Amino acid sequence: MTPASSSRMRRSFVLVASGSLVAALAACGGDGGGGSSDGETLVIGYSAGISGGAAEYGLNVQNGLQMAVDELNAEGVEVDGKKYTLKLESLDDQYQPSTTGTNAQRLVQKEGAKIVFVPHAGGIKAAQELNTTRDKFLLGAYSSDPDILASGNELTVMIPPSFVSYIDPFIEQLDTKGTGKLGLLTTSSEFGQEWTKAATASWKKAGGTVLDNNNIDYGSVSDFAGPVSKTLAGKPDVILVGGPSQPTALVIEEARKQGYKGAFMIIDQAKFEELEKFTDPKNLNDSVGIAPLTEFDGTEDFITRYQDKFSSDKPVNADIALNYQALPVFVEAMKSAGSVDDPQAIRDAMPEAVKNVDDKFKVAFAPDQISDNGHLRSDGLKAAYRNDKGKYETFPIDQPKD
Amino acid sequence: MTLFIQQLINGLALGGIYCLAAIGLTLVFGVLGFPNLAHGALFMVGGYVTYTLLVDVGLPYVVAIVCAALILAVIGVVFERLIFHPLRNAPHTHHMIATVGVMFFLISLVQEIWGSGFLRMESPFDGRLTVAGAQISSQRIIIIITAMVVLIALTLFLKRSVHGQAIEAIEQDRTGAALVGINANVVSMMTFAVSFALVAISAGLVAPIQLLSPGMGESLSLIVFAIIILGGLGSLPGAIIGGFFIAMAEVMASTYISVGAGQAAVFIVLMAVLAIKPTGLFGTVVQR
Amino acid sequence: MTTLLRPRLLGVILIAIAFLVAPMLVSGQPYLLRIVTTAAIYAIAAYGLNIILGLTGQLSLAHGAFFGVGAYIVGLATTDHDWSFWTAFVVAILATTILGYASGLIALRTQGAYFAIFTMALGFLIYIIIIRWETVTHAHSGVSGIKLPESIGPLDFSDPVVLYYLVLLFLAGAAYSTHAILHSNAGRSLVAIRTSEDLAKSIGVNVGVSKQLAYTASAGLAGLAGGLFATLNGFIGADSAAIDLTFQFLLFLLIGGMGTVMGPVVGSVLVAFLFEMLQDLESYRFIVLGPIIVLLVIFAPRGIVGYLNEFLSSHRSRRASPPPGRGPDGRGPDGHSGSGTGQDNALDRPHAASGAAATSEGGL
Repeated sequence: MTPASSSRMRRSFVLVASGSLVAALAACGGDGGGGSSDGETLVIGYSAGISGGAAEYGLNVQNGLQMAVDELNAEGVEVDGKKYTLKLESLDDQYQPSTTGTNAQRLVQKEGAKIVFVPHAGGIKAAQELNTTRDKFLLGAYSSDPDILASGNELTVMIPPSFVSYIDPFIEQLDTKGTGKLGLLTTSSEFGQEWTKAATASWKKAGGTVLDNNNIDYGSVSDFAGPVSKTLAGKPDVILVGGPSQPTALVIEEARKQGYKGAFMIIDQAKFEELEKFTDPKNLNDSVGIAPLTEFDGTEDFITRYQDKFSSDKPVNADIALNYQALPVFVEAMKSAGSVDDPQAIRDAMPEAVKNVDDKFKVAFAPDQISDNGHLRSDGLKAAYRNDKGKYETFPIDQPKD
Repeated sequence: MTLFIQQLINGLALGGIYCLAAIGLTLVFGVLGFPNLAHGALFMVGGYVTYTLLVDVGLPYVVAIVCAALILAVIGVVFERLIFHPLRNAPHTHHMIATVGVMFFLISLVQEIWGSGFLRMESPFDGRLTVAGAQISSQRIIIIITAMVVLIALTLFLKRSVHGQAIEAIEQDRTGAALVGINANVVSMMTFAVSFALVAISAGLVAPIQLLSPGMGESLSLIVFAIIILGGLGSLPGAIIGGFFIAMAEVMASTYISVGAGQAAVFIVLMAVLAIKPTGLFGTVVQR
Repeated sequence: MTTLLRPRLLGVILIAIAFLVAPMLVSGQPYLLRIVTTAAIYAIAAYGLNIILGLTGQLSLAHGAFFGVGAYIVGLATTDHDWSFWTAFVVAILATTILGYASGLIALRTQGAYFAIFTMALGFLIYIIIIRWETVTHAHSGVSGIKLPESIGPLDFSDPVVLYYLVLLFLAGAAYSTHAILHSNAGRSLVAIRTSEDLAKSIGVNVGVSKQLAYTASAGLAGLAGGLFATLNGFIGADSAAIDLTFQFLLFLLIGGMGTVMGPVVGSVLVAFLFEMLQDLESYRFIVLGPIIVLLVIFAPRGIVGYLNEFLSSHRSRRASPPPGRGPDGRGPDGHSGSGTGQDNALDRPHAASGAAATSEGGL
């Protein structure tokens, strides 16, 4: 630090530094006003964890949406006689709900987005505190937890099938048919625990007994051996497992290595095609879970296109496909409503729009209807049982009436 | 009874994991006097480097771990020179905050290089042993043994070798050490090198029973802090006993009470010990 | 004296004006107001940390958890139990203060790094209780539909601008209290403890009581900030009690300047905008942010306000008598901070050597 003897310099230094706040505020206040007003670019917002620990899921969903955006742009988007270019604007919230709230507001106010996709239940609930009051925007909610529709938020569209629809068919598919003992070993996230609660209720209703809930945080437990041993000590016939696919594979492997011979019921967060990559696929035999994307007709083309586009050799799962095929529904609804900036009109146009989506955007169990409370649904939903020969036997899943 | 024996063995294995991760941290803490909050992130970097050497370069498992330890040791020296040497006279809170910056940086960097997904590292030791009806995998036995060996080697290094004695001297009295001509710079670099090498070894051993992901070190590092404080700062036997003690408490509480109790056990044990003995089990140095 | 006070006063006035006119500046983009409001709430919590860490030199890592307790009390009381916001808010502040006092009785038996880790464990315990005690806290589901403050006369807090001014009122209160403490006997006791506990004892400071009060007050401020955070967001999850939050407050304090009056608020607002501007970098954000933190610690370790204070003070003392070879980053001539043994973990004394000089003598 060189001695600054001039008092003028000293003063200006203080002025500049302490006045930086004013400058920062003014600068940020001034650069807005873009967004949809120029009539060319149509921003689709997205907020998820795309950096840090569990970013892969957020990035998968982002890729699915990006792919839809690019393909829609390639064929041209025209609403009410005006041409638009779609743009996916992603912000990072590291799965922290309060940040999702800020991000959603920023996307709406600064970028002019009227549709914001959020793929985690906490963020969805935080956004629901905002989207019908001051800032109106349509929330593309990717979470299979039916709780997100419970609040009756009019501008929420739930994209994936509700996990509740899987439980009874899963139980029915296994040899024990809900009798015998169910071990509980899912991840301790909200989602894992909602699943556990619902499965516990159904299992008991079917006449079986349910053992202790040994949920653990799949993301942070150092060694799965202890919780697995404890679960196996109750001599379960079926174990409910699941969380992110990769640790789920390790939990299953550990249970098999400790001599478990029974069946697994895998929650829909974990995907067979990813589990296979992380453990000897033989460990997965005698399990029931959502069907791998490859078990649906005509998905090869989508999978190849995706892997080429993102030069990825990772399995292409349902998270990617469901978001890919959901975005065109929203765009179609804009066309039907003849509006790109009235979320309520776009939402109201959805029942009609969902039927008009071009077939090329349909990958697997593509939605063909939307319920009154905003749930995209389809009749073609399937789940899969992996038998003792390692083959997938698919079976249909009926979605319950809301 | 079988469950009890099984969980005893699982607790031992978990204790081995905790100890291995704790030893490097307690070394830096003891010598330099500040907790390296980037320790968990370095654990992760060690894991990824080992993975690359094993899978992409194709080195044998043990060689890969040794090479990763050397690489991390170099990184340790670089960090010492670039970050902690300029800070050597600053208050220790500043070191800690700098380590938070390092942690942010490393996690993002690893995500850019290796991607954000999980990676699985296979170990060649995948057999299992059965003891009195309970099971343990070979990898976990190796972890327990390595934790012991590394600890004994480190104790010998500190007590017998000239470099080690220099580290201990600094640990005990920095001014006195300087007076007898010990170069604090060299010792500081060496401490970082050894600590980072140890963390790479633990990551290489533990990674096969976990998964590699950018967030893998975060939760571990908090437990590790609990362990070295429980044992008493800078005390190696303290770190070992603390590691096994906390692992046992965690496994047994989650087996016989509930999983929530298991999670909380680590912190309850720590708080109980500190409430009774504010300097940890083996801590003799009173903090001034 | 008056000429010396002027730049400082000017700085405070400018910051105050910036805060007062902020809603006008950002009108049309209320999300910026939300960011400023959030930053102001975080700043209140950072003032709490400033009392225990900045003034007293004790690193409390339970701070984020106290924030979460405040947030959860307001969240749960106004939803599940249908209390009014104001009742819940007062209870939240009282409860966190009592929790701070009770835990301080045990925590403050430990010192230095032991205190830091003890409070970290306490913070974790609180976090685990929140995510595991499902029947009460809803665990991972979080709390939605938290009430906004009920109107007081013509003040309708559902208007974000009015809510902002409410937060600003508390922020000003926190800043003023810090100023008042710093210039009181109690504040001088705390600074003496930060410099050396033994020294403080020898000059007759009741170390135990002083630390207990500082810790209790810091917990209360965290709870207050948490309560405001809950009402602003309407939804809270367990992340509002996580240790990451503590590190965030620490960062604000470091960048703004520990132990200073304006440091917490300057740090919080600057970091909030830094985060926001770096959003466009997406996942590269932390690759940039990490080194920025390290560089700040190396080159501007006393924070922005601390740096400015020292700049002014050193200028004053240079006129009077040049300080003996004391560098800008607080290094003493002997090349050591504190006692120079390095052994005794200066963790518990943020800027042991020259920090007291600038901050205790009427710094910002």
